[in-house]
Amino acid sequence: MKKTEQLTDSMSYIMAALTKPRHGYAIMNLIEETTKGAITIGPASMYTIIKKLLKQEWIYLYDESNSRRKTYLLTEKGREVLGEDLKVRKLMIQLAETGLEEA
Amino acid sequence: MRQTKYITSGGLAFSEKKDMEKLRSYSFKGWHVSKFTFMGYTLEKGVSSDYIYSLDYRWLNDDDEEEYFEFFSSAGWSHVTSEGNIHLFRAHPGTKPIYTDRETTVEKYENSTVGMLKFAIPLVLITALVWVVAMIVSGTLKSILLVAAVILSAIVVPTVWTVITAYSNKWKVEGRRGLGNLGKTIPFLFLLIAVIILLFGVGTGATVDILTSMMIGGIALPTAIWLIMSLYHKIGGKRG
Repeated sequence: MKKTEQLTDSMSYIMAALTKPRHGYAIMNLIEETTKGAITIGPASMYTIIKKLLKQEWIYLYDESNSRRKTYLLTEKGREVLGEDLKVRKLMIQLAETGLEEA
Repeated sequence: MRQTKYITSGGLAFSEKKDMEKLRSYSFKGWHVSKFTFMGYTLEKGVSSDYIYSLDYRWLNDDDEEEYFEFFSSAGWSHVTSEGNIHLFRAHPGTKPIYTDRETTVEKYENSTVGMLKFAIPLVLITALVWVVAMIVSGTLKSILLVAAVILSAIVVPTVWTVITAYSNKWKVEGRRGLGNLGKTIPFLFLLIAVIILLFGVGTGATVDILTSMMIGGIALPTAIWLIMSLYHKIGGKRG
């Protein structure tokens, strides 16, 4: 993936959850709780994205002592990518909010 | 005594959804899938339950397995069985799906095609080569090569069909419906071309003969497989 390409929603959610070290189940739970169940990430989607983020070196394996519950954390590069993505998403929200207010 | 029985699969590239629905309705009748068996599934008799089934395609390293299955079990999906890169899971109805966005669903079908081309392309090339050489040479060698070519073709046709279907599954979820439908029509185009070649090559009578035997083979082979596997399970079940 090129750096300029926008992150998918699921990728953004997972990266946002990985600002602290977390394992897969904790990521799923956090996302579901924060969005009050509006967003769920299925286990197969989650696994696919974790592998992809590792390959991009946007996250790294933080602790593998528990092989069933390995934890991951954003890398410096990952933080940058997430920050850039956030900027674009904020613009979208701004556009929608001002549009709705004017109407 | 464990009671088992065998059911055939429609071929996962062709009827994954139908297969999963079939497994659900068998579970409802108390027959639960326990493993993949040659061209189908082994079911075991148990208590009737309502289970939904899902498949994932992925080559796993040994040190990734535990984590992978943990993801599923913590989301309510229990692992039933795996075969190569195919993993079968079941859950209670209402459990959130294992794929929740389009991007990763596309990758699921991409994973299902991994390795297929590596197998299919050399196979197609070799078959084509054998046909060509068989046409050029003469005598005993020709006869041997012709037989080899026919056998190879019998493997190539379903292989190519599966590969095309697997790719069109992928294109469909990518939203490239046009390509997805193209994938469906290609096999029929193939058949049409084959019929035309046969008509010109060997004449009408032989073409009808060949097509008829192909059709009989197409029905007889799956039936024979089902019969043998069912018989095998009856005997195996009695022993177990």
